[in-house]
Amino acid sequence: MPMYGDLGNKLVQHAKRTQNLTHLPPYQTELVRTVAREVRDLDKDVTSMLEPFQGSFDPSAEQATACTLLVNHLSMRRDKRCLLAYHRTRTDKLEELVWNGYDILDLSGQQQAGGANGATGMNEGGTTSSLSPQEEDYVRQYGDLLAAYKGHWTDIDLTGSLEPPRDLFIDVRVLKDAGEIQTEYGAINLTKNSQFYVRQGDVERLIAQGYLQKLG
Amino acid sequence: MALPLPPGLNHAEVAFLAEMEMVTVVPRQRLESINLLSGQTPPLRPPHRAELPLWLALLLKKQRRANILPPPWLHPSSLAEIIHRETKEDPVTFSAPPPPPSHANPHDPGTARRVRDADADANLAPPFLPSCTAGAPAGYLPYHWLEVAEALLTHAGDDMAAPAGDVRSLLRDLVEVRAAKMRSSTSALEGFGGGLMSLRGVGAMELAESRGFVLGVVDGVRKIGASAEAARREEEELGGGREDDESDEDMGI
Amino acid sequence: MSYYDIDSILTDAEKIPCTFQLEIPELGYLDNQPGQPLKAGSKIALPLWLAEMLAIANTGGDDQAKSFVTFDLPAALSNEVVQALKADPRAVPLRDQSPHLYGLATHMMDLSEEQELGVVLRKTFVTRASEIALHARKVGGTGHNKGTADEGSNLGVGGTGEEFLRGLEEWERKLFRKAHDGAKAGKEWMENVKKR
Repeated sequence: MPMYGDLGNKLVQHAKRTQNLTHLPPYQTELVRTVAREVRDLDKDVTSMLEPFQGSFDPSAEQATACTLLVNHLSMRRDKRCLLAYHRTRTDKLEELVWNGYDILDLSGQQQAGGANGATGMNEGGTTSSLSPQEEDYVRQYGDLLAAYKGHWTDIDLTGSLEPPRDLFIDVRVLKDAGEIQTEYGAINLTKNSQFYVRQGDVERLIAQGYLQKLG
Repeated sequence: MALPLPPGLNHAEVAFLAEMEMVTVVPRQRLESINLLSGQTPPLRPPHRAELPLWLALLLKKQRRANILPPPWLHPSSLAEIIHRETKEDPVTFSAPPPPPSHANPHDPGTARRVRDADADANLAPPFLPSCTAGAPAGYLPYHWLEVAEALLTHAGDDMAAPAGDVRSLLRDLVEVRAAKMRSSTSALEGFGGGLMSLRGVGAMELAESRGFVLGVVDGVRKIGASAEAARREEEELGGGREDDESDEDMGI
Repeated sequence: MSYYDIDSILTDAEKIPCTFQLEIPELGYLDNQPGQPLKAGSKIALPLWLAEMLAIANTGGDDQAKSFVTFDLPAALSNEVVQALKADPRAVPLRDQSPHLYGLATHMMDLSEEQELGVVLRKTFVTRASEIALHARKVGGTGHNKGTADEGSNLGVGGTGEEFLRGLEEWERKLFRKAHDGAKAGKEWMENVKKR
């Protein structure tokens, strides 16, 4: 017997799974819509239940009604908490991905290889983005915000590696052409398959982006 | 959200900090004083010993420009003594951190007293006492014992007082003994209200490894006891009329 | 226990046995009989998020104010379970009782005084914690990093402990992961020292 709050719970189970994943699973458009509808239905019920009382409802006189109202109220509150927590879990994940250097193109183009439970089919064919349109917007704006914030510092890379360096200089191999970069010791032209001995701080970003490979 | 690291220092950070510990080197070449952020290094004049930060000592060792003297606590006899103490004498608690430095007057035995005159160090507590650094005496483990020992064994193994393999296996035993203590020390939290888990003498690297686990256990115990604790306090306050407990738990941020 | 905490929300979905104290015409659906009134005395398992408030709220009448529902301890915290935990905390697969056993228990202890339960659970948690740390270290120390697929799927690695680890409930799983992460990071650091 399905009960109020059951679908919200399903949403939270999705969120729980999301926490342990490195990528973001598809947005549960239909489930979110259904839970939101459940809240509206409950609200309608409450309104119609209170209508005959004309604003002078006395809970101690109408105990059964008071109890029903309380159950409805709690169900709405529960649904709301599930909805908010689901979205919050996803935005947390999105922020984390943005900090890790992903941008909107990486994320919206992300194909769901193992779409698991048919829930993917919500998006109208074509490219399957696992983000809702609102989430895409969020990523875009959050990315801009982070870029603006990072722009305050030219000599510190806020999204750089958090590992204390063991060597200032490292050997790297160029995996993809990355053009010319400026370093303290002059310009280096990074052409594919060449090797360089460079300052780690200068190329950290390129390593993270997959242009260079650290050797040794 | 942005910081993906758990609270507290992680292994890499601890190892990095440990490289600021001072060790004694025997230079094989002359080297003039270097002006570092932390101050001037002493000029190196073979065969006079000198104190250098570990990172610099390791660098010179790799370039064959110096040998590193293993600190006294890393001698096999010292390690064996500590293992004996940790297993036989007191199989429950961790062995004590190095004692504070003391002045003993050979002409006036029995009047040794703590060093108080070292103005800058006077307010320091373990693990920042000079004696808790790599300069700790034999028979005691300084705060950064594991990191310093690993670095020295790996990169200056031939400078050890005994074959590096022997020292390493003693070190392994010590690590295991102490890890087992860390696990079982949680049982000290079992008693109601009186749970106290002593981490005295635990090293920086050991803390980095067990921080998450230990905090998790303490937090769990706290949550299990929370309602009993709240009831106890209420009784204590005996109708003090305080009702601000958890009425807004729902929206609690 | 934040508002957005996923585990706390899932814990709130755990059900406890409740008994309704008055007849309520509209709530038949709770007892699988939509359209029928819910009779006083009906016994229904309700999720915590509903049961807690219904048990705390009362009917408001000054003279004979009573709760809408009364509740009992759920089966996961029944006397048999408590006795089994007293005998040997490590032998009970907590997960089979409830994946949120401790969370559920703390809620129940908030609702009514369960002194013995608190004492037994404290001992259980602490005793099992050192066992968890032991397994976490074993798993973390077995070498052979299984690529990136070790995000908790390795809960079952290592023969003897498999059964114990399968029986961990959520708090314990988290603890296992923390202990495992610590041990693994230690091992990685140790290997890195040599590479330098």
